[in-house]
Amino acid sequence: MTADSVQGRSHPIPRQRKPAKIFHWVNIISLLLMMTSGLQIYNANPVFGGRNGIPFPPIFLLGGWLAGGRHWHFAAMWLFALNLLWYGVYILMTRRWRHRFISGKDVKALQRTQNQKRRNYAWHRLAYTAIIPILLLAIFTGLGMYKPAQFHWIVDCFGSWQALRIVHFATVPLVVIYAVIHSWLSLKVGGSRLVESMFW
Amino acid sequence: MHQFSSRRRFLELSGLSSMSLLLGGCALSLVEGVVGKTFEPLNQNVESLLFNPQKLIPEFPESDIEPNAFIINTYKFTPIIDPLTFRLVVDGEVNNPLSLSIAEIQQLPHQTMTIRHVCVEGWAAIVQWGGVRLCDLVALAHPKSDVRFVYFESADGYYESWDLASAVHPQTLLADQKNGQPLPIENGAPLRLASPIKLGYKQSKWVTRITLVNQLRRSKGYWEDQGYEWYAGL
Repeated sequence: MTADSVQGRSHPIPRQRKPAKIFHWVNIISLLLMMTSGLQIYNANPVFGGRNGIPFPPIFLLGGWLAGGRHWHFAAMWLFALNLLWYGVYILMTRRWRHRFISGKDVKALQRTQNQKRRNYAWHRLAYTAIIPILLLAIFTGLGMYKPAQFHWIVDCFGSWQALRIVHFATVPLVVIYAVIHSWLSLKVGGSRLVESMFW
Repeated sequence: MHQFSSRRRFLELSGLSSMSLLLGGCALSLVEGVVGKTFEPLNQNVESLLFNPQKLIPEFPESDIEPNAFIINTYKFTPIIDPLTFRLVVDGEVNNPLSLSIAEIQQLPHQTMTIRHVCVEGWAAIVQWGGVRLCDLVALAHPKSDVRFVYFESADGYYESWDLASAVHPQTLLADQKNGQPLPIENGAPLRLASPIKLGYKQSKWVTRITLVNQLRRSKGYWEDQGYEWYAGL
């Protein structure tokens, strides 16, 4: 796909496949549930500072108390993880991974081309390629904390329990930063019509 | 006209949002109960599927013990127990009910293990526990074949229930030692549960009675009755 066809001379309205839209919606909703219920759990014993640490204000929290936060977290976990799984299968089966994620061409474009549109497009693909390992890391570290007896090797990967907690928590600001960059680049690349096409 | 409609729209929106704020609080706590009740059985099935009652959880070297990381969560008060008159009762669906003194319990094989204690609040600490295996005590009581659950009662009124497979796991101990020292009273002396396979709130302190049953009662545990998950496997 070239930058020209993205601007869409023949297709003025960008269209997205229905599975992509479904994935996008479920991903946004499940991530919001995961993050707000996760911060509720965080507040029981903040990762930074323990009992004396600074808790998050109630507006960011879901679940009301620790047990409620855990119920939401472990319920939304299924939605989040299975959504990511079927999408992974979908992009492999349809071979969409070839042109959806960053390739050597994009890296070259970033290094050489002076075409700003082409550069933005390459940056955008870099951004949504980078979110995949972040989301998988959230699941991997979460599994390590959920089942440290059965998956003790996951805890070992990070050296200590505290390191595991920090990495799991770090996926929250990473996802938020990603959402900002992703929205901004979408607007630059395809304007509001592209952004809207992802939703409706 | 345009101004009018936008004002009306604003009023509509503000009314809707304040209503949703009011309703949101109630609705969310209702939904929370539904979410918990819907997904807990699924999570529990997956957890017990993952759990292998024969598999030993890898232990840590003694040098990894974190004596300062272990936080004491007390529920009501710290009971004062005289170890000389203390009796541990094992009853319920058993052919040989027991009432054991500390001296009698100490005649059972003693085992130490250095494991990670994980609290529901998110912190964890590597602790060394020493004590008798719960499976040895259960075997002494000759449980009937239909026993599936175990209740634990504590001197402070705390109560818990476990699935039998987790209770008779070889690393489920009734501990009388912590980090090589006699168990401190605030950690549950003379006897407390210690296990690498359950969250901290399952590990009752000051255990006085162990009751083997074939069905769970309405009361499953102090925290569970307030909404915590019952299985709580690690």
